Amino acid sequence: MTLRILLNRVKTDTLLKKNMTKFIKKEDLYKLLNSFLKDFEIIGPKQIANKGIFYEPLESIEDLYLGELFAIEPAKKFFLESSECLFHSGFLDGKATVQDAPLPDKRRIIIGLRPCEAKGLILLDKVFDSEYKDRSYINNREKSVIVGLACAKPDKSCFCTSMDGSPTGSRGMDVLLFAVEDGFIVEIYSDKGKEAFSSLGKEPDEHQNKTLSAYKQKRSELIGKNFKVPGDLSPIFESDYWDKVSFPCLSCGVCTYLCPTCHCFELVDEGRKMYRCNDGCAFSNFTLEASGWNPRPTKKERYRQRVFHKFDYFKKIFGENLCVGCGRCIRHCPVKMDISEIVSNAPSGAGK
Amino acid sequence: METKNIYLPRLAEITDIKQETPDIKTFKLKLSLVYKPGQFVEFSVFGEGEAPFCISNSPTRGPGIECSVKMTGKVTQALHELNIGDTVGIRGPYGNGFPVENLKNKNILFVAGGIGLAPLRSLINYCLDRREDFKSITIVNGARSSNDLVYKDEYPIWEKAKDTRLYLTVDCQEDNWSCMVGVVPRILEQIKPVCQDSVAIVCGPPIMIKYTMPVLLKLGFCPEAIMTTLEMKMKCGMGKCGRCNIGPLYICKDGPVFSYAQVKNYVS
Repeated sequence: MTLRILLNRVKTDTLLKKNMTKFIKKEDLYKLLNSFLKDFEIIGPKQIANKGIFYEPLESIEDLYLGELFAIEPAKKFFLESSECLFHSGFLDGKATVQDAPLPDKRRIIIGLRPCEAKGLILLDKVFDSEYKDRSYINNREKSVIVGLACAKPDKSCFCTSMDGSPTGSRGMDVLLFAVEDGFIVEIYSDKGKEAFSSLGKEPDEHQNKTLSAYKQKRSELIGKNFKVPGDLSPIFESDYWDKVSFPCLSCGVCTYLCPTCHCFELVDEGRKMYRCNDGCAFSNFTLEASGWNPRPTKKERYRQRVFHKFDYFKKIFGENLCVGCGRCIRHCPVKMDISEIVSNAPSGAGK
Repeated sequence: METKNIYLPRLAEITDIKQETPDIKTFKLKLSLVYKPGQFVEFSVFGEGEAPFCISNSPTRGPGIECSVKMTGKVTQALHELNIGDTVGIRGPYGNGFPVENLKNKNILFVAGGIGLAPLRSLINYCLDRREDFKSITIVNGARSSNDLVYKDEYPIWEKAKDTRLYLTVDCQEDNWSCMVGVVPRILEQIKPVCQDSVAIVCGPPIMIKYTMPVLLKLGFCPEAIMTTLEMKMKCGMGKCGRCNIGPLYICKDGPVFSYAQVKNYVS
């Protein structure tokens, strides 16, 4: 089966005027995905023994894991590769040349993405698909259909509802699956999603519709962490609060690596190939200048930058927090730093 | 339509290299570029990496651009080893540049320290080429020693320009030095430049900026009338890579030229 819209490389999906809702049996969904395997790369969560859940390109749909556990890494690596060649430089007939790195032409279906991560893509769009457009990121976005999975059981470190999200949120999704008894209720939001999923399944019956509304209502109530981000953190920029909260930080950077919205990068020329590589504000050499001057010399400035970038600067520029409340930085921090507590306990007003 | 690769540099040939000081060279490049004084480019030395440099010549004095480079790190060292005829990559121009329209009919005070004169030189020559648009021009240029002064052969031209004063200073007294001695903020206190209808434009090392701002405020310049051009490690030049922000402002995109009023809360 081929998807016309995707093959035509439509730039962005257009949202449908009215969502479509379907019920699909589990075996029918897997059958459909199997039929896509020929023309598409299918990326989804996969259980890897002794390691956990990871988003991987799937060779067989049988490997797809649509259970309650969360993927350890976000799927951002399929949009912003951790190291990606941007251009080559070289010589031709004794003259210097530069050449664009080729863009992959692979169309993909990314399935099992949680609502927080899909929202993260919308936040990344604001950076990479804005005034200066990053062609490789946009290429990856254009060629992907996002088929999400609503969260059945949020983790104790989740706080999406405090970030204006929800375990059943549809922002950034083409399609969202709700796991119910013997199958999935499927909400379809975009043309891309319609193209892929409208042919199968049937209208949900009354019981299934009720199940869906109950699902949506109840899942938000399962989120344990609820807090309000201060409207403006700038009065406490100089507070010694940042010394205190950054004290345990090991500067390992795992929070930036696992964050679905952290996107800071380095440009590295290696062997006449320029790469865009993941980088992060947790590292001291991130801002270290050749002269030896470092405007963010200690953990205090670096951790403050992380919090301010997410909850102050980005909000001032783009109108929302650069955080989706997925909880990865909390779950995987080796010293158990909790950004949700750090932000919600921030001293109010100016002063120490 | 394919989106253009925003990271792909244009090729530019080095047409001239001038040794300004023992560790600063000015590179002239064959490149047609529309830019404003105060904007910068990302210089690519292929195989070594990229680094940002302000354009140090005035757009009124094209064709071609000039960048002055102090040998400091990996890319600048590689750049210093290049010769006339070699090719580099250029992305840009980036940044906002100086608000030249707002400077018209004002007294302009340039305050530079060391290589900080580079972005100001672009604007100084721009102002001198359109002399009738501006009132008096005062240039205070300091360096650690006379060996570290850049663009020396332009000083006599600047001094001779209409209603233009040049104050040169070095940090410590030297033999055969007839100009001023002392750090830039102290010199400003001595010469007391007029603050009415004036704009001060400051560029230099962080320590100079830190001590110069209070002096300018004391002389009567309001924070809105003090412009500075800042530098940080600007990698992408497009407000994406996340390093060069001061508060919510990206130096590469929203700057590098800011009024002191914009950044004073974040320059600690």
